[in-house]
Amino acid sequence: MESVGGSDSAACWEVDLSQVRALIDAAAVGDEWPDWVAALLHGARIADVNELGLQLVGSSVARGLMIGQPVASFCPPESWTILAELIVAVATDRPDHGVRRSAIDSFMFRNATLSVWGAPGDAAPDMLWVAVDGEMAEDRSFWAVRASEQRYRRLLHHLPGALLQVDARAMGAIFYQLRSEGVTDLTPYLKMDGELIAAAHNLVRVTDANQGAMHLFGAASLDEMMGAIGYVFAADPEVARRVVIAHFEGRRTLVEVMKLRTLDGRERDVQLTVTFPTPPERLDVSLMSFEDITDRLRTEAQLRQLQADYSRAARISMLGELATSIAHEVNQPLSAIVTNAETSQRWLSKDEPNLAKVAQLTARIADSARRASDIVQRIRGMAARRAPERVPLDLNEIVHEALVFVGHELETRSILLTLDLDPCLPPVAGDRVQLQQVVVNLILNAAQALGRGGPDRRIALCTTRTLDASVAFAIDDNGPGISEADLDRIFDSFFTTKEEGVGIGLAICQSIIAAHGGTIEACNHREGGALFRFTLPVADA
Amino acid sequence: MSSPPLIAVVDDDEAVREALCDLFQVEGLSARGFEGAAAFLHGYAPNRFDLVITDIRMPQVDGFEFLRRLRTVEAAPPAIVLTSLSDDATRAQAVAEGARACLTKPVTDAALLELVGSILGRRATDAPEG
Repeated sequence: MESVGGSDSAACWEVDLSQVRALIDAAAVGDEWPDWVAALLHGARIADVNELGLQLVGSSVARGLMIGQPVASFCPPESWTILAELIVAVATDRPDHGVRRSAIDSFMFRNATLSVWGAPGDAAPDMLWVAVDGEMAEDRSFWAVRASEQRYRRLLHHLPGALLQVDARAMGAIFYQLRSEGVTDLTPYLKMDGELIAAAHNLVRVTDANQGAMHLFGAASLDEMMGAIGYVFAADPEVARRVVIAHFEGRRTLVEVMKLRTLDGRERDVQLTVTFPTPPERLDVSLMSFEDITDRLRTEAQLRQLQADYSRAARISMLGELATSIAHEVNQPLSAIVTNAETSQRWLSKDEPNLAKVAQLTARIADSARRASDIVQRIRGMAARRAPERVPLDLNEIVHEALVFVGHELETRSILLTLDLDPCLPPVAGDRVQLQQVVVNLILNAAQALGRGGPDRRIALCTTRTLDASVAFAIDDNGPGISEADLDRIFDSFFTTKEEGVGIGLAICQSIIAAHGGTIEACNHREGGALFRFTLPVADA
Repeated sequence: MSSPPLIAVVDDDEAVREALCDLFQVEGLSARGFEGAAAFLHGYAPNRFDLVITDIRMPQVDGFEFLRRLRTVEAAPPAIVLTSLSDDATRAQAVAEGARACLTKPVTDAALLELVGSILGRRATDAPEG
């Protein structure tokens, strides 16, 4: 029974202990530490394996992959301690190295027994044999496993979508080495060591692929897809890094959106899902599935473009409503500039020019010119065609910037404005101009609801932090409020109660807030008048 | 002997106020700025000002309302409207509310000074001998 190849009723491995001799001696005298079992089974290498042993953990073609690998890679973790203790007992049982046995759970055998023995005498003290034996489980018989493998291959090949079967076991040994060197977080380690990802590109291998994968990758034959996995991540190396980190951290699955360069040179956007195996699954089978999302992303981009165009159109319409206010605001500094310049000329044409006065007037001209330019810049910002961005923003600042646009309008309408802004707001992630647009729209909406006549017309703005990690903005007025019938459709496009309105203001507010992951609502508050409130999620730190 | 003419400049925009006061100063006229109608009316004393120049778009009390209130005070000075609003309706309403003239901003110094001069000169001749 000493020849591994000769045993056909048991799965049998020959194990080389030469790298863990010192560890075994230490364990034998009770000098153990918490990880000694893992260290021993990672240091103990497989020297040979019989056919049943191959079937038990892999497939018959796996011999080359198995030889030289750590025992730990092929032993279910629940049996690690039993196996390690048996190895220590046999290895230190000089000179007989007689057989020791222990019952274990096995998916292939009923009443399974784990046996460990060595050659008598000390001719080869570092070589032991390990066998798993028992009553073959009927549904898990050799042929059942083989048939199940066939079914699995058929399944893989006929599943829709693009699937790659990947053998990433080589990374297990590397990860063990890293852990034994004290690496617990791979992210900073990878910043220093660029070699690991390059090594993974070669060590991790594609072992099977289905029709969908061949189609997606533009492969003419299956052979083109087999072997080193590097080509999968050629256009997006950063994703390879995250896959390695997820594997190191023992995650079960990872989903990534990535760029894929196909074998025939096209570029596609795909969503990659990686499923890593855990015992007792076959450790040589990691699965990668790819969903081609190129068309979906293109449609989404077009949709975003449409939304951006729509919101810009609404901003320009809003600027139109504010045109009189804005014209007045620009005209004031221009008017001051003209008068100051003419006054300067009058001083200079006198017999004794008052140069100090001219200097003062010139400084005022510069100030007014800057003011006019600032106003023009702000308007240009509102009217510009640009892609929305996501940056951390202080909502209170947004409110102040919005008031630059509508402050004069409120003053002209003699509306009293009160502000109650929480000074400790966390930032929100968003587009400055779009959020300004929302606030301007809501203020303008309230101002128009208040009409032009009547005393004591008020608008109150308020910002707060909510309990569910959001930031809220609320605006209420003491106008007529919203009729019950209108409440349900107030955010609909082209709904308006104003004769001059086209009804996109509130609709665009809702679409902008929704695109920012927030919500907006309208109601009437108890003391009469309308109340609009939106919330935005706090930006990730 | 009558004191030199004094002009009130009513505009919520400080830059505009200062510019107009300086323009009158270079021509030897005295002017005082007010940031709104309320500020002007608050300390109103008859015969103190010889002319009022006012904007239309102002917070709280706008220019039209100011002209209305000005008609109710004793010995109201003549008023000129100086506004960014250049439409005929504004001009007509300003005159209807009692303004002597309505000029559009930005105004040329010559036009403004000529108008001011003619009103002040007429006022000087109108003034009762005393």
